[in-house]
Amino acid sequence: MTQIAKTENMAMAAKEIATRTRTAEGEKFRERVLALAGEDVKTCIQCGTCSASCPTAHLMDTPIRKLVKLVLEGEKEEALSSRSIWLCTSCLLCTVRCPRNIRPMAVVAALKTIYEEEGNRCKDSVFEGIFGRQIRDYGRISEFLLSAEYMIRSPSSAAQIMAFGAELVPKGKIELAFDAAKGERIEGTEEVRRIFELLGDEGKSKKTEETEEATI
Amino acid sequence: MRIGVYVCHCGLNIAGVLEPDILTEFAKTLPGVEVARDLQFTCSDTGQETIKEDIKEHKLESIVVAACSPRLHEPTFRRVVSEAGMNPFMLEMANIREQCSWVHMDEPPQAQEKAKDLIRMAVAKAALLNPLTGETMPVSREVLVIGGGVAGIQAALDLADCGLHVYLVERRPTIGGYMALLTDVFPTNDCSICVLAPKMTDVYNHPLITLVTYAEILNVDGSVGRFTVSGVKKARFVDEKLCKGCLNECAGVCPVEVPDDYEFGLGKRKAIFMPIPQAVPLVACIDPESCIGCGLCAEACPVDAVKYDQKQEDFRFDVGAIIVATGWQSFDPARKEEYGYGRYRDVISALQIERLLNAAGPTGGEVVRPSTGDVAKSVAFLQCVGSRDETVGNPYCSRVCCMYALKNAQLIKEKYPEAEVSIHYIDLRAGGEGYEEFYIRAQRLGINFIRGRVSEVEEVDGALRVNYEDTLLGGFRSKPYDLVVLSAGLEANRDADVVGNLLGLSKRPDGFFEIAHPKMRPVEAHIDGVFIAGCASGPKEIQVSIAQGEAAASKAMGLLVRGELALDPVVAVVDSEKCIGCKLCVETCPSMAISVNGTALVDEAACKGCGTCAAACPVDAIGMTLFSDEQILAQIHAATAVKGQYPFIVGFLCNWCSYAGADLAGTSRIQYPTNMRAIRVMCAGRVDPAFVIEALKGGADGVLISGCRLGECHYSKGNYQAYQRVQVLKGVLEKVGINPGRVKIVWCAASEGEILAKEVRKFVRELEEMGPVGTELAPPGSPQPSGGGS
Ligand SMILES: Cc1cc2nc3c(=O)[nH]c(=O)nc-3n(C[C@H](O)[C@H](O)[C@H](O)COP(=O)(O)OP(=O)(O)OC[C@H]3O[C@@H](n4cnc5c(N)ncnc54)[C@H](O)[C@@H]3O)c2cc1C
Ligand code: SF4
Repeated sequence: MTQIAKTENMAMAAKEIATRTRTAEGEKFRERVLALAGEDVKTCIQCGTCSASCPTAHLMDTPIRKLVKLVLEGEKEEALSSRSIWLCTSCLLCTVRCPRNIRPMAVVAALKTIYEEEGNRCKDSVFEGIFGRQIRDYGRISEFLLSAEYMIRSPSSAAQIMAFGAELVPKGKIELAFDAAKGERIEGTEEVRRIFELLGDEGKSKKTEETEEATI
Repeated sequence: MRIGVYVCHCGLNIAGVLEPDILTEFAKTLPGVEVARDLQFTCSDTGQETIKEDIKEHKLESIVVAACSPRLHEPTFRRVVSEAGMNPFMLEMANIREQCSWVHMDEPPQAQEKAKDLIRMAVAKAALLNPLTGETMPVSREVLVIGGGVAGIQAALDLADCGLHVYLVERRPTIGGYMALLTDVFPTNDCSICVLAPKMTDVYNHPLITLVTYAEILNVDGSVGRFTVSGVKKARFVDEKLCKGCLNECAGVCPVEVPDDYEFGLGKRKAIFMPIPQAVPLVACIDPESCIGCGLCAEACPVDAVKYDQKQEDFRFDVGAIIVATGWQSFDPARKEEYGYGRYRDVISALQIERLLNAAGPTGGEVVRPSTGDVAKSVAFLQCVGSRDETVGNPYCSRVCCMYALKNAQLIKEKYPEAEVSIHYIDLRAGGEGYEEFYIRAQRLGINFIRGRVSEVEEVDGALRVNYEDTLLGGFRSKPYDLVVLSAGLEANRDADVVGNLLGLSKRPDGFFEIAHPKMRPVEAHIDGVFIAGCASGPKEIQVSIAQGEAAASKAMGLLVRGELALDPVVAVVDSEKCIGCKLCVETCPSMAISVNGTALVDEAACKGCGTCAAACPVDAIGMTLFSDEQILAQIHAATAVKGQYPFIVGFLCNWCSYAGADLAGTSRIQYPTNMRAIRVMCAGRVDPAFVIEALKGGADGVLISGCRLGECHYSKGNYQAYQRVQVLKGVLEKVGINPGRVKIVWCAASEGEILAKEVRKFVRELEEMGPVGTELAPPGSPQPSGGGS
């Protein structure tokens, strides 16, 4: 590339950034998050206490601190496409420590809500569906069946957490026993099923019959 | 009362809208008016002469000038009448320019009616004016300074150098405050005690300073010009006159060792000790908590200065002014559990690093890891520990921590160039002369700056790790250090709580003592004759603490230097016949000017004349010398006498903000409806609910009360009291069937003419919707309509 072309390109890029003001869409997004997570979010000082306190921070692509900034700048797409929001375990350490009494976790929760409000299916919905249905049918879950079904329905996501799962096996956190695989039930599964019916969650578990890949 | 009325044309400023000659003829019809004239420019020499001649010729007893705002020319006309031999307080002004001709330029006929009402109101008040004399009161020319930190030391020296006698009372065994314990100090990095010690000795040697150390103030009585202060001087168990300060002899034999609080726990001291080598006074002190009474020190002392039977002594002095320089205390870093202070030995506080760096400190100036005693090869400074942190209730910035961390980082780097020194910060604040340069110097020295607040300090395999997100690069990090220094913030000093309560000082939400105005009156307290200097009113560096000590001294000097105080004659007076001693006024008074001993007693020197007590008194036992109940009621009756307009509003505007705001609307020519007749009061808190009821009874359709914006009251909290009273009143009105919306309270700053105009416009519309006062008492179709009023 000639020097001139290079400079021109740079100038174009600079112009694009300079003219990138908050769009109406971005503004709406920002207001929606503020409505869900609280106006206090505006007082963030970008100190990073939240991201540094987060136990899953090392798995995240965007630090929570940055998510807060993206929200305030109305950068909807970047915020909603971040993997971080699905890694939050709601441990609330960020919220306990934030020096501005902001609830960073509420920001993450708001992003999840908005993601679903937009008609997107939450990344965990396949998993949640299997999870819910097992509870409905057996009154408990079996890690073995759960992992197996998840692997079939959503191989790519399952692969991502395989390593993590493998770590849990020797710690006894995942039972590989086969009586679980036989679908052992608790007493009173009928009541549990009725609770599900009352809550009307049938639709949700049906939805997960589809595979994850189909919705991407 | 023989009254003279002067209606000003002010060129066309008034005459362009109103008709002064007709107003003059109208004035002549009012009761008590002997002479009425219209003058081109009343404030001109001719105008002034005319008034003076009339006073003599017609033996006038009080004067009404209908012209511009009293805030502009009241002093002028007070001077004019006093030059004619009349008491200056026998003057009342009708504001027909700023609050009439200038704001109703498009409605001359209605403006003319309003001007008539304003003149009638002024004449009614003028008939009830009393001659007042501003008395003078002899005052004590002595000053009490509480707290012997650098701020208090400076104040004491300045006052004494000017010839005023000073009592400096310090709580601890030596003066000097925190500055005496710091190592080198920013922005020049000169040795702290080297620049402070000479001042400390000056205090000790000054013939006009009485230094009382190791003492506690227990009572304060009286008010500006004549405070009486008493307290106790604790026993040191060492005779101050005999002790030579050698220390070696006594401390050398003392068998008891305890942690040294002057070293913040890093070093040890004996039960008999000298707080610091440069202590003033240079006298040892026995700590009764740790002394086991073995008697060894008494035996060892070559001058027999140790006195185990020493008793505490009472003291008492009379002073004219008090300077509070009680300083600060450190945020307790152990409260931030995630940083491990108190758990990990190598996590230390900023004050501890000051001592480690100090050549006179416990390590002789070596920066060592407390756990091993080895020199630290890597040091982290963690900023904002207990500052800018809502989780510990301190949302404010402590202002000096960035600078002292920069300083200590530099000192370490200079001493140990190989050491790795990092500052973990959120924002670096280096505002001050030479401060940014100081920051640049630190950068040049190779100190690391890492932007990101540390989330926790961990100990992994015996090594400290600091966890944070580098917010500039993004991403979580964990970095090992030998030594972690917590830059703990500055908090309000709890040692000063008692003194604060005794003096009646208010505290800000951050806990520090509040100054009279956050910008314009930086060293004055709300209480007359009391000043605040240094960190007692918030975190600040040495330079500003000294400046405030000097400022407080000059304020105290200005107050007392003449040896007498001119008292403002506008004060509250108690009718002891009526007073039932309920003490409501004591709580109400923002100036602590009222005490109750059977019946209430107003301290005229302390009273600022706001009149809130008069409005609060349940039995009307408190009156005001000016803006009295009778005068205000007369104005209300005069305002509602004709009621030539609908809706008709009586307004009460506080002198400092709302009346000034209304004047500003005038000077800015902001137009608003002519429906309001405003009565000037010193404070919205002066408005007695009875005034409002009287106005409504008289036929006013609405009453507007306007005060300073909340938090900005000239008398600190009069507007809150006004608000509370209005809320109660609204409830009462509702009960008797009157629409509570007829009483409106608004806040308007002196700069907010537009707001006042807007509120009047809005209120007029609201009242139009409500209909004339009393409509609500006779609902259509009701068989027996009741009469008007309450
Ligand atoms: C770690 C650290 C480092 C610092 N380094 C610097 C620096 O390098 N440069 C700089 O400019 N500033 C520095 N500062 C700020 C500096 O310490 C303050 O500006 C200074 O101490 C303020 O002085 P003061 O007189 O207001 O308060 P203090 O020093 O707190 O003095 C108050 C005095 O009042 C006494 N007292 C309290 N209550 C009572 C009572 N009820 N009755 C009688 N006496 C009472 C106290 O015992 C004390 O002697 C630093 C602060 C910290 C925390
Ligand atoms: S901890 Fe709070 S203030 Fe700090 S970056 Fe996170 S949300 Fe913002």
